[in-house]
Amino acid sequence: MIQRIDLAAAQLDSILGRASPLLKLGVAIGWFVGLFLTTEIGPPLFVAGCVLLLGWLVGRVPAMTLARGLAPLWLAALTIGLFNGLFHPANTEPLAVEVARIGPFRLTEPALVAAAALAARVVAIVAVGVVFAQTTDPTHLVDALVQQGRVPERFAYGALAAYQAIPRFAEDLTTLRQARRIRGLPGSWHPRLLVGLLVLAIRHGDRVALAMDARGFGSGPRTRYRRVRWGWPDVLVVVGAVAVLVGVLGLS
Amino acid sequence: MSFEVPAGATLLVVGPSGSGKSTLVLALAGLLARDVPGDWTGELTIAGRDPRERSAASGEVGVVFQDPESQLVMDRAEDDVAFGLENRGWPRDGMRARVPEALAAVGLTGLERRRPTTLSGGQQQRLALAGALAPRPAVLVLDEPTANLDPDGTAAFFERLAALRGAGETTIVLVEHRVDRAWPLADHVLAIGADGGPIAFGAPDEILRRHGGRIEAEGIWLPGRARGAAPARPISASAAPFVVARDLEFCYPGGAPVLSGVDLAIEPGERVALMGPNGSGKTTLGRLLVGLLRPTAGQVRLGGDDPARMPAADLARRAGYVFQDPERQFLARTVEDELTLGLRPDERDGAGELMTSLGLALDRFAARSPYLLSGGEQRRLSLACILARRPSLLVLDEPTFGQDRRGYEALLAILRERVAAGTAVVAATHDERFVSDFADRVVEVREGRVTPGGAA
Amino acid sequence: MATIDEGRARGSWSEAGWRTRDIVVAAVIGVAFGVAFMAVNVAWRALDVLGPAQNVFYGVWLMPAIVAALVIRKPGAALFAEMVAAGLFTLLGSQWGPDTLLSGFVQGAAAEMVFAFTMYRLWTWPVLAVASLASAAAAWVHDWVVWYPEVSTDVILVIGAFMAISAVALLPIASMLLVRALREAGVLEGFPA
Repeated sequence: MIQRIDLAAAQLDSILGRASPLLKLGVAIGWFVGLFLTTEIGPPLFVAGCVLLLGWLVGRVPAMTLARGLAPLWLAALTIGLFNGLFHPANTEPLAVEVARIGPFRLTEPALVAAAALAARVVAIVAVGVVFAQTTDPTHLVDALVQQGRVPERFAYGALAAYQAIPRFAEDLTTLRQARRIRGLPGSWHPRLLVGLLVLAIRHGDRVALAMDARGFGSGPRTRYRRVRWGWPDVLVVVGAVAVLVGVLGLS
Repeated sequence: MSFEVPAGATLLVVGPSGSGKSTLVLALAGLLARDVPGDWTGELTIAGRDPRERSAASGEVGVVFQDPESQLVMDRAEDDVAFGLENRGWPRDGMRARVPEALAAVGLTGLERRRPTTLSGGQQQRLALAGALAPRPAVLVLDEPTANLDPDGTAAFFERLAALRGAGETTIVLVEHRVDRAWPLADHVLAIGADGGPIAFGAPDEILRRHGGRIEAEGIWLPGRARGAAPARPISASAAPFVVARDLEFCYPGGAPVLSGVDLAIEPGERVALMGPNGSGKTTLGRLLVGLLRPTAGQVRLGGDDPARMPAADLARRAGYVFQDPERQFLARTVEDELTLGLRPDERDGAGELMTSLGLALDRFAARSPYLLSGGEQRRLSLACILARRPSLLVLDEPTFGQDRRGYEALLAILRERVAAGTAVVAATHDERFVSDFADRVVEVREGRVTPGGAA
Repeated sequence: MATIDEGRARGSWSEAGWRTRDIVVAAVIGVAFGVAFMAVNVAWRALDVLGPAQNVFYGVWLMPAIVAALVIRKPGAALFAEMVAAGLFTLLGSQWGPDTLLSGFVQGAAAEMVFAFTMYRLWTWPVLAVASLASAAAAWVHDWVVWYPEVSTDVILVIGAFMAISAVALLPIASMLLVRALREAGVLEGFPA
C-alpha cells in the first residue's frame, strides 16, 4: 500500500529532528560524494554504523523502525555486489587468483574484494536514507528549502499541495483497475491507465490551483507562520558530520 | 440579472446543473480575469468595488468549493488555515492568535497537528471553511459545500454556517442543491434557470409562493416537496436469493477489519439501499459483492459462483458496478470505444439502443471524448457501459450525488425498468429521498457490521 | 470548467510567467508518475529490492520531466516535475531517498538544458529525443559512478547503449502520445500543448 509515513513526536523533537533538513540533506550528499570516491569496504560500513547509531541515540528513531527500514537492503547489496563482482575486469586477467566459478563467470579475489566494498556502499546509502527519512518532517523540509535554500516559494508550496494528493491518486489508480475488471477486460494493467490517472490528476491539480488562488496565493509577498532558524542542533549536526569524515579518513 | 444583498445577509442560489452558478462564484471571488471579452454586461460590486480590481489578494472574499480534498494544501491542519494568512502578509503574532480562533469557530480544536488528508470529508470541509474565514472576509461564497459529504458531515457543516449567519458579520452567498437544509438559512433566494438567466430573486417564502411551479419545472429542487412512494415489489414465485454473502470479513493489509461477520442475501429484482456513515464499510461491501475485492474471511456467491475468482469477462455479465465519479471509470478515447470496451459483437446492437434510450445516441456522440461530456451525460454513459451487458446484479455507489432533479428522475426511470426485468439493484447512498423513492429494503452498515433491516 | 480556466486571473507575482496552475499541474504530473511507479513497484515487489531500479525502469522515470515540459513549455518544468517525483519517495519513507533526489536532479537538469538550448520554443520529436538521450546519459553516468564503479568498461558501454536506445526509441513517442491523449480528453485547455 502506498502510504505516508508518520514520524513520532520523539523523532521530530530530537536533535536530528530539529536540525535544518537542508543541512541534513547537504551532509548526506556530502557523505555520498566522499563514499563514491572510495572503493574500500571500511569507510561505507563506518558511515553506516555511525549514522544508525546517531539515528537511534540522537534522532530517537526506534530500533525496530531502523531494522525494518534496512530490510530491502540485503537483497540490493547482494545484487549490486554480485553484478560488480561478476563483471569486474580482474576476472579476465589470467594471473588473478581465482576464488570461484559461477557458470561462465570467473570470480577472482580482487573482484570479490571490490564486490564486498560495493555491497557496503549500498548499506551506507540505505542507512543514511532511513535515518534521513525518519528524522525529517516534510513541511520542515519545504520550509527550510524556502527560508534557507532560497528555493522559490510558489514552487515549494505548490509541490507540497500536490503531495497531499498522493492517497487520492493511489485510490484513483485502484479504481481504474477495478473499472477494467468490471467491464470484462482481462488484465488489470494497461498503458491507458496512465492516461486516465493523468487526466484525473490534472483535473485535480486545476481545482487545487483554483483553491490556492482563492486563498491569495501568488498575489504578493508572503509571511511565514513557521520560522526555520539556524540553531544548536545544526551546529551539532555539522560537528557530527565532520567527526564521521575524520573517522573515515583515519580508516583509509 | 439584477439583485442586491445587504451586508450580513445570506443569499441562497439555486439552479439546475450547467446554469452558471459556479461562474457566479468565481466572479464574486474575483477569480475571473478582467480580460475575458464579452464577459459582463452590467456590473458586479462588493461593498461598492469591482471584485476583479482586487483579486483575491485582500482577503475580502472567502471561498469554499465543493471538493474537500482539492482545498487541502498543507501537511498539518493548522498550517492549512495559516496558509491564506501567509499569502496576505499577516504578521506572525497575528497568525498565531487567529489560527486557533478560526479552528474553534468550525469546531476543529484539538486537530491542529493532524494531517488533513486523514480527516473525514466533513472535517476537511470545515477546515476549508476555517481557512476561508481566517482572514475575516466580508463575504463568504460557498459552491455546493456539502455535495460530497455524508449526513453527519453535512449536519455539522450547516451548524457552523448557521452560527456564522447568526453572528451577522459576514455576508454569505451559498450555492446549494440541498435546499431542505439551506432554505432556513436564507434571507434571500436567487433562482437561476437552465439558460443562465434569472428566474426570480426575493425572500424565500415569496419565491416559493409565486415562482415555485416554474422553478420546479426547470428541474431545481425545492424544499419539502412530496416524495414519491416506492412501488411495491412484485412477489416472485421462486424467490431464491441471487446474491449471498456469509460471514464476510474484510481488512486491508496491516489494518483493522473494515467489515466483519456480514451476512446478506439479495433476491432478483430487490431494491436494496446500503446506508451508513462514510468509513462504515458500505463501499467495501459493495465492491466485495461484485468481486472487485477479495474477502479476508467468509464468502460471497453470485448465483453460486465466487465473483472474486471469476474471469473478468464472465463477471461483467453477472454483475455491474457503477462508481460514484464517472470520470474514474473511463478507459477509452471516444464514447464509442468506451461503450464497446470488452463487449462481444452480438452485444453491440443492444448497447447502441441503450445509448439512444439514454439520450446519448451513437450517431451524435460516438467520436466525442468521454471527458468532454457534461456531468449528466458522463453519468449516463458510465451507466450504459455497465448495463450493456445486462448484469443480474447492479451495485451503484452514491448514484444521486450532485444530481439535479432531471438527472435524478432519469436515473429512477432506468433503475425501475431494470428492476422490472429482474435485476437486483444495490445502491450505497446517503440520499434519504432516493431511498424512499426507490428502495424496498434498507441495509444499515455501521462500523463494519450490518443490520439487514426490513422495508424502507 | 474549460471557459473558466481560460479566464482565470493571473497572479501578479509571477516568476518567468508561471501561473499557479502551471506550478500545481507540473507538480501533479510528477506526483502521478511517482504514484504509478510505486503502485507497479508494490504490485511486483521486485523492483524495490533492487533499489537502483532505474536500470530497468528509468525510462518511466524520465517521463515526468518530458511530459511536464511538453505540457507546460516553460523554463524549469522538466526539472521541477522530476524533482517532485523524486521527492515523493522520501515522503513515503523510501530508504533510497537522498540518492533518488540526486539522480532525479541530474536527469531532470540534463533534459532541462536541452530544452533551454532550444529557448523553450521547439517541441518536436527530435528535440524530445535529444532531451531523452541527455537524461539517459545523465542517468548512465550517475549509475556508473554510484552502482557500477568496478564493472569493466565494455559492459558499462553496453549498458549505456541499451539505455540510450530505449530512451530514444520509447520516451519521446510515448510522451507525445500521452500528451495527445490528454489534449483529446480536454484537460489541457489553457496550456500551450
